[in-house]
Amino acid sequence: MSEIKTHVRAVSDLVDGSVVASVEIARAPERIFQALASREIIDWWVNPGVFDTREWSGDVRVGGAWSASGMARGAPYTLVGEFLEVDPPRKLVQTWQMKGMPGAPSTVTYMLETIPGGTRLTVRHSGLAAPDQRANVGAGWRTSFEQLAEIMSTAKR
Amino acid sequence: MSRIPAKTDAFRAIADPTRRAILDRLRAGPANAGTLAADFRSSRPAVSRHLRVLREARLVVDTKVGRERLYEVNSVPLQSVAGWLEGYRAFWQASLMRLKRNLEEK
Repeated sequence: MSEIKTHVRAVSDLVDGSVVASVEIARAPERIFQALASREIIDWWVNPGVFDTREWSGDVRVGGAWSASGMARGAPYTLVGEFLEVDPPRKLVQTWQMKGMPGAPSTVTYMLETIPGGTRLTVRHSGLAAPDQRANVGAGWRTSFEQLAEIMSTAKR
Repeated sequence: MSRIPAKTDAFRAIADPTRRAILDRLRAGPANAGTLAADFRSSRPAVSRHLRVLREARLVVDTKVGRERLYEVNSVPLQSVAGWLEGYRAFWQASLMRLKRNLEEK
């Protein structure tokens, strides 16, 4: 196993306030799980210049707490949450909340599946809508967002 | 990623089909409340109420022309509605890329 030549796919769904991203990595699921649930996070929870994790600690068991802190656009932040499901090396679910922000926490779910030559890792980050927005989620929303997309694509400012 | 106060929430403003229709109509060009009421066969107070919600969400802006107020679409809040998820999408995209690179290099 050395390298899998595919790209990361990441899409957001405005209707239910979620992001789904996946990647194929030429390593065993056990090795990847370790990177998801350890201080190794500071080496990869990074979007350069935007979001930079410097510290991580976590009690990796169901009900255990985790916390990460760093700099986002020059300002310090702390993320906190709790592990909801710990099933190595297949699944890890944790809540995610910016410390000091109101509203319900979002949820990050990692799924790992074995593929030829490695592992496919899929992350689903859900519940990202603010509470006011979530209260409105329903059948009408798809239409709203389709129209919104149309308005956006033709608005000239 | 901050929470938007309900009064100015663009999501809430576009939840209503009439308000989406009004936004659609204003895309074609600015109009006053009277013209919109005629276009939608609604009462003028009903249209004014919708316009107030759209204005509070900053989805429309109004300009005073003589004794009338002319309404037009303001696309900026719509961009922020679409943008609040983009930060997370970009974060996971960059992070998974880095995770892959880190693990495959070693």
